[in-house]
Amino acid sequence: MLMSGGIDSPVAMHYLLRQGHELLAVHMDNRPFTDDSPLAKVVDHLALLRERYHQPIPLYVVPHGTTQVTLMRETDRHVGCVLCRRFMWRSAERVAEREGATFLVTGEALGQVASQTLSNMRTATASVHLPIVRPLIGLDKQEIEAVAKSIGTYEISTRPGVCCQAVPDRPATRSNLVQILREEERLDVDQIIDDCVRKAVLL
Amino acid sequence: MYRTLRLCASGGGFEALPETPRTVDLKRVRAALEAARVPVIDARVMLIATLEVEVTISRAGRLLFKTADPAAADRAFAWLRPLLG
Repeated sequence: MLMSGGIDSPVAMHYLLRQGHELLAVHMDNRPFTDDSPLAKVVDHLALLRERYHQPIPLYVVPHGTTQVTLMRETDRHVGCVLCRRFMWRSAERVAEREGATFLVTGEALGQVASQTLSNMRTATASVHLPIVRPLIGLDKQEIEAVAKSIGTYEISTRPGVCCQAVPDRPATRSNLVQILREEERLDVDQIIDDCVRKAVLL
Repeated sequence: MYRTLRLCASGGGFEALPETPRTVDLKRVRAALEAARVPVIDARVMLIATLEVEVTISRAGRLLFKTADPAAADRAFAWLRPLLG
């Protein structure tokens, strides 16, 4: 399960834990484009959910900042969020396969940010093969926030923090897979993912 | 060029915005930072420099100091300001 430190991902995790699924968390560490706060929030979210559901929930922290630098230097900024997302999915899938996980989970809900349009979700997830579960897909922000408050994760998620500085001024809300693949031709995708996953840390 | 620092929208750092629209010559700023032995990451449209606190310098001139300590942000701002022209 991808955990960002935001409001949505701990709520998505809560729904699956409530059903008794066994989960492991993956945090894509976006420093230096953020500060330390997203990771600290994820650690605190997991502490709370582990206690509530009596599950160990291992946490993998995968470095993603170097990938962001490469994307910003080598590719079209306009589609940066979709490319970023594709690399996050690939890293998460690699960790999942290593751990024997059979599906990927995300806290995405439609239309909240640029990467969460149907068009961008489709393009982003075309980078992986494992099925993706999105427990929050049709919920609106108020509904998600209400659940977050009820399970105690909202206060953690809304602590001060630096937003992702790699987000372009006008991110694409519609993307074309052909264009994205053309952008990725400039990159050694496998090498980038290998490096990230090799440097992943299990907390 | 810059007036003052203010808390950024998400409350995680302090930002400074240019008073008038401008484009920062990031190559020149990077060279100046490196000459001062400041570690710097060049992400093409922005630089990330490690001063007393980490600071993002965008091509449009926005500065973001990643600290909750206003005094530390102020000191880093004062150090950086002359380099930006």
